[in-house]
Amino acid sequence: MKGRAVTFEYEEGTGHTMSYMIEVQNLSKTFVTKDAAVEALKGINLQIETGDIYGIIGMSGAGKSTLVRCLNYLEEPSSGKVLIEGQELGALSGRELRKMRSSIGMIFQSFNLLMQRTVIDNICFPLQIQGVGKKEAREKARRLLATVGLSEKEKSYPAQLSGGQKQRVAIARALACDPKILLCDEATSALDPQTTASILELLRKINREMGITIVIITHQMSVVQEICSHVAIVENGELVENGSVEEIFTRPRSRAARQLIIEGKEPGEWSGASRQQPELHETKRIRIVFTSNSSFEPVIANMILQFGVPVNILKADTKDVGGTARGEMILGLPEERETQENIIGYLRERGLAVEEVTADVEQ
Amino acid sequence: MWSSEVTTMILKGVGETLYMSGVSTLVGYVLGLPLGILLAISDKEGIRPNAALYRVLDMICNVLRSIPFLILLILLIPVTRFIVGKSYGTTATIVPLVIAAAPFIARMVESSIKEVDYGVIEAAQSMGANNMTIIRKVLLVEARVSLITGATIAFGTILGYSAMAGVIGGGGLGDIAIRYGYYRYQSDIMIVTVILLVVLVQLFQIAGMKLAGVLDKRK
Repeated sequence: MKGRAVTFEYEEGTGHTMSYMIEVQNLSKTFVTKDAAVEALKGINLQIETGDIYGIIGMSGAGKSTLVRCLNYLEEPSSGKVLIEGQELGALSGRELRKMRSSIGMIFQSFNLLMQRTVIDNICFPLQIQGVGKKEAREKARRLLATVGLSEKEKSYPAQLSGGQKQRVAIARALACDPKILLCDEATSALDPQTTASILELLRKINREMGITIVIITHQMSVVQEICSHVAIVENGELVENGSVEEIFTRPRSRAARQLIIEGKEPGEWSGASRQQPELHETKRIRIVFTSNSSFEPVIANMILQFGVPVNILKADTKDVGGTARGEMILGLPEERETQENIIGYLRERGLAVEEVTADVEQ
Repeated sequence: MWSSEVTTMILKGVGETLYMSGVSTLVGYVLGLPLGILLAISDKEGIRPNAALYRVLDMICNVLRSIPFLILLILLIPVTRFIVGKSYGTTATIVPLVIAAAPFIARMVESSIKEVDYGVIEAAQSMGANNMTIIRKVLLVEARVSLITGATIAFGTILGYSAMAGVIGGGGLGDIAIRYGYYRYQSDIMIVTVILLVVLVQLFQIAGMKLAGVLDKRK
């Protein structure tokens, strides 16, 4: 499984040859310290298309922050390639790389605003770096400030703003040079849920209205479900699974994805490879995901009537995945094997995604 | 005994002290600021790590800082003569003062710059800023409060060093205090000069801190 190339077929077009907005090829990064070498990333392959909102989720220390820093070469990979619109970053000169970076905006968990400059000067800063005239820069900064809804804070200093406001300023700053890509490194991790929602809403708006491809690094599944179109799961420096959020939510394959989605565990709570046996279940557990068309028929009720056996509803939930509501249910099935198979068959016939919960698909 | 001549002498002493300390601080920064920036950025955590350069600069600073000023004053006499044309007097004192102050200033600048949050530097890099831009627009601006506080401390220290200028006929308040108070047992003159030194340091300290406070936008 190490260095496994994960290719995924997207609905809208398979086997096409156009270059991706971001393509990562077999990327590895090793940090060499005095007494040890730490492999932060191992053989990552990733393709991100124009207009995607691509989530990269993993627990802290999984290497996702290093990965996002490789996307604009703030961190130079030890091996492998990063291509932005087909341009290999490693092949660029220092000057070309800096030019390229100006077309890739980035925001951070700790906002990283210049504390000694006003809001408007912070937004003008990247334009100043590109040699844009002061007047033009100010006009643009004001427009961006209006976009993020902070026009009245123009003359404030970052220290006078709340966390959410600081992140809005950082977003405006990241957009100043009309980037093609916006990288978000745990951009909402320091914010409360309500502020997080408003920042995510803003990011969605930017993606839709400006067509900017967004990469979001996070350890919160809720963030991925809320706005991402695609997701990659990173565990111990490896990319264990990626694809559309819908696909992974409906049929999680890797152990990490199953823990994340089925057990609802945030990355910090994932258990290691040698996890303990789950408590013995006398019955089989299955997870069903209802898509939009399947919610009209009372499937579970009909199923019980059909087979005349009771099932145990262990969990039922509705989640907003990429803008559409998804029903999720975990059922405990009766012991008898044949009935179990019949029930699963019955549900699958009705177009539901059914997964066994107790066994791992991969491994 | 407290004649107008004494008053004139003391006033002249104040002028000489301010001249020596002021010019030395200024020239000290001309040398120490770039040196401190180089130390900060060439360190392994800096934006342009260079172990060899760092080690050399680090050693120069340490060596110069470990020589007692009084010894440096004498050791540097040939250098002073070469630069100023003579080895005694107020202007001649500026040479050893600068040599003593520059590495001290460099260390203060280094530590001020290292206080700047690395995240902010990273943000500037992500915008495509080159190292020169980062130094000028990020490091020096974000560290300005700490740099000004440092300059205030540097000025006070240099003013203290300048009291030893009397050894090479440098003049100033310290010289008066030693000559009259110590050699001639005129402790009243000594007390007055010492009070004046205290007042001077105090004034600059207050002014420096005030300036730093006005420029600090972090709160």
